[in-house]
Amino acid sequence: MQLFRYSTSIYGGSDVLIGASWDLLKWFAVAGAVIIVLHAVLKALTSRRVDRA
Amino acid sequence: MTVLHANMSVAESASGRVRRHLLVDRIYHWLMAACVLTLLATAFLPIIGYKFEWLGLHWTTGVALSALVLIHIVRAVIWQDFWAMMIDGADIRNGWRRVARALGGKGAEPALPGKYNGLQKLYHAGIAVLVLSIVITGLLMLLKIDTPLWRRNPYVLADYQWGWIYVVHGFAAMALITMVMVHIYFALRPDEWRLTRSMFRGWITRREYEEHHDKTRWAADAR
Repeated sequence: MQLFRYSTSIYGGSDVLIGASWDLLKWFAVAGAVIIVLHAVLKALTSRRVDRA
Repeated sequence: MTVLHANMSVAESASGRVRRHLLVDRIYHWLMAACVLTLLATAFLPIIGYKFEWLGLHWTTGVALSALVLIHIVRAVIWQDFWAMMIDGADIRNGWRRVARALGGKGAEPALPGKYNGLQKLYHAGIAVLVLSIVITGLLMLLKIDTPLWRRNPYVLADYQWGWIYVVHGFAAMALITMVMVHIYFALRPDEWRLTRSMFRGWITRREYEEHHDKTRWAADAR
């Protein structure tokens, strides 16, 4: 998985950094989904514990 | 202005409502939401395969967002309670107690928050960092396009400097997707619905105020 995007220099030099890799896009969306699911599960578990008490 | 606020609070107290957001702040919030969603759509839809002429709408919306952020900063510093959104010792202590109890600990109960709880303040700080990063790099990136107001001049910075500007803009924009997802999730949760309603209608009920907020940290009646 690449973190950055590069373009090849037309003058034959080293590659030029041109931005963040868009391959990471799905991982940021996955991170959002993980936070949501973890919070929902944690909330459900703690509210059940409160109900029992 | 203070007299007006006080009169409004008395009227709202009588009707069982406590004002949480003024109309101007709600308009700001929804305009910012429209700008952010437009910017995310024009940035990422072409990348995932929905090709369209995105650049014009993207940069004009970006300029609108920059203006909104500037207005918000001035308003927050001069007219709003700036410190109500800053994380303080009580927020950290409450956060720690909440985590300890969630993990089964039997320590002290977390105290009630002021107008905003610690996580809301943390979220706001995160959004502020991301949006300011996007706005600053985005305004610099305007130097690379022709507009009716100016001609492009990409030679003010070296290629590697432009590269890092695009890196910051891209990472902050992708992180914004995570933040927007989390924000919408909390807005839709039934236990947070009072806050979502207050962003539409401006108020929470007096009962909600007394149940969820510490009057000494958010003296809504005094404003």
